[in-house]
Amino acid sequence: MIDAKKQDRLTFGIGLAVLLFASFSWFYALRFAPSDEAQGEVYRIMYFHVPSAITAFLSSFILLFFSLWTLFKRSSVAASWSKACAEVGFMYTAITLITGSIWGRPTWGVWWEWDARLTTTLILALLYAGYLIFTNSMAPGPQRDRMAAALGLIIAIDIPIIYKSVEWWRTLHQPPSLLRSGGSTMDPEMRSILFLCMFAMFFLAGWLLWLRAINLQLQAKIEEQSHQAR
Amino acid sequence: MKRFLTQYRALLWQALQVEWSNSERWMSPLLFSTTMILLFAFAFGKVDVAFLPQLYIAATYLTASFSLQIAFSRVLEPDTQDRVFDQLRTYPISPSAWFLSKYTIVILLGALILLPTLFLSNLFLNNEGPVSLLNSSVLIVAVLMLLSLGAIGVLLSTMMLRSNAKQILYPLLYFPLTVPVLLSAVESSRMILVDGKDLSYLMSSWLGLLVIFGIMYFTLCLLLFGELVKPE
Amino acid sequence: MLDIKLLSFRYQFKTILSQLSFRAVTGEILHITGPNGSGKTTLMSLLAGLRKEAGGTIEYRLPSGKAAEDRRTYVEYLPAEANALFGKMDAMSNLRFWRKLRNLEASDASIRAVLKKWDLDHPLVRQNFPVESFSTGMKRRLALARLELSETPCWLLDEPLYGLDTKGIETFQLMLDEHLKKGGITIIVSHDITPLERFPLRRLDLLQEARA
Repeated sequence: MIDAKKQDRLTFGIGLAVLLFASFSWFYALRFAPSDEAQGEVYRIMYFHVPSAITAFLSSFILLFFSLWTLFKRSSVAASWSKACAEVGFMYTAITLITGSIWGRPTWGVWWEWDARLTTTLILALLYAGYLIFTNSMAPGPQRDRMAAALGLIIAIDIPIIYKSVEWWRTLHQPPSLLRSGGSTMDPEMRSILFLCMFAMFFLAGWLLWLRAINLQLQAKIEEQSHQAR
Repeated sequence: MKRFLTQYRALLWQALQVEWSNSERWMSPLLFSTTMILLFAFAFGKVDVAFLPQLYIAATYLTASFSLQIAFSRVLEPDTQDRVFDQLRTYPISPSAWFLSKYTIVILLGALILLPTLFLSNLFLNNEGPVSLLNSSVLIVAVLMLLSLGAIGVLLSTMMLRSNAKQILYPLLYFPLTVPVLLSAVESSRMILVDGKDLSYLMSSWLGLLVIFGIMYFTLCLLLFGELVKPE
Repeated sequence: MLDIKLLSFRYQFKTILSQLSFRAVTGEILHITGPNGSGKTTLMSLLAGLRKEAGGTIEYRLPSGKAAEDRRTYVEYLPAEANALFGKMDAMSNLRFWRKLRNLEASDASIRAVLKKWDLDHPLVRQNFPVESFSTGMKRRLALARLELSETPCWLLDEPLYGLDTKGIETFQLMLDEHLKKGGITIIVSHDITPLERFPLRRLDLLQEARA
């Protein structure tokens, strides 16, 4: 039996620490990071956009891991982690798309560009949405866990292929955006701040994932108790 | 091995019999194709000959992709009636034989839809165009596309059947998952017809991707199918 | 002998069977009773391998004394509200299909012999006449013919008599008699047991078992 109060205190404490760390990283990025020569101040959204994007793609790897675990170990705990992962992943793809769009307006001059990374994020968001509709439409139980795991596996494996194909498709149609910053040409100070923000985002995502997975397991437990109390 | 072949043959023969006696099942996706080509012709209007190949290729593959999706999503329909699918699950059937028979039938039905679609689209959309999709290299690309899509089509179908999911979910999952296939097919055909590239050149780019996708998903779906029909 | 030990099953958090133990002996019919929702059909689908038990074991001893590996090789299941027949195919091809899946020879002669018993051997009925045009009773008879042709030692029959007329019931009794004499096992869920009273019948009440 889990000690609920202790669990609550633990999640709250860790959450507070993570939020403080994340706020610090964002504050630092906004206040102390150097201005970009070409883009001025607007580039600072990168400190939010790039970590979200990486977290969004990372979530597909984590989904792959938990899906395989669910399939091989028949674990309902792993299944709730998979679902939590898709939910958190969906949130991060949405954040990435929104911030990418906001960033694109002043730098590329358009709200949307068929950039390989952005396009793949959009497809990932669609796939996550499909995955979530699929799992939510089924009654809880081992069958749902297995179906969701199979779908999660297919989606996670598809993402690199989709990325590759969209990248090729882009280079064939339009020249890559010249204004795209990032990569190794980046100023070392900017890069270290970006890494700081990235870590903060990973912790935040990890905490959300953990919270949601516990939440889903508790929901299942409550439902089970209700059935037994009938 | 003998058991595997017997079961594969029995399952395939049964599926062929059912399809044969129910021609609506492959006729309606084909009619859908024709309708879409008609709609594309209306939407395009009078097109400059210079743009025609590009539009024609895009419209043809989009049409094929949509009608194939309809055919794939219905592949297990005969098995849902009278609880045949559950009965099959109580029989000692090798999951690979089962999957392969469904894959074969999907490819056969798909070819029955895909090839006429190419022909019709060439007839209606491309009546004065400088290029033709009825070209051996493009046909190979189209068949490779069908082979790649078939496996994922069967698996998604099984998933939808086993989960009693809503019909709308099928295209919602199918189209984003098969983005690389559609892109590869369209781009390969464009490079063959417009840029005059040959298949061996494409193998190291788009066609290679298509083949990798096909092999990967065929293997993955073959393995996962067994998981989906197991007792839960 | 089919030996079931401490079988448990839960569906969506609801316990349907808990720690059920019983044996089905050769030459005897096990009649499963219980009110609606007591898990009769669930038990059948567990034994048929459609569902996976949450706990417990199901063991079938082959005549050699060894335990059979795969449930599906020795069980033939007849569901209650369906016959699991392909509506677009005729009687012969349906039976041939199911027999081939069990890796049994499927010659016309062997299939027709069974069809004759079930009064379905008319040339205009057995071939080129889709099963979807059959009457309810005919479909049930065809499903029972498949049961006989499956050559499995363990039969799971959920309301097998549904839709059968007097003659059909007689044929069913004959078939069952033969099966039991050959050392077969039969587990039946049925509301009407009058036609079964002439056989050695043992009752298993799921409600009583759940209370015990």
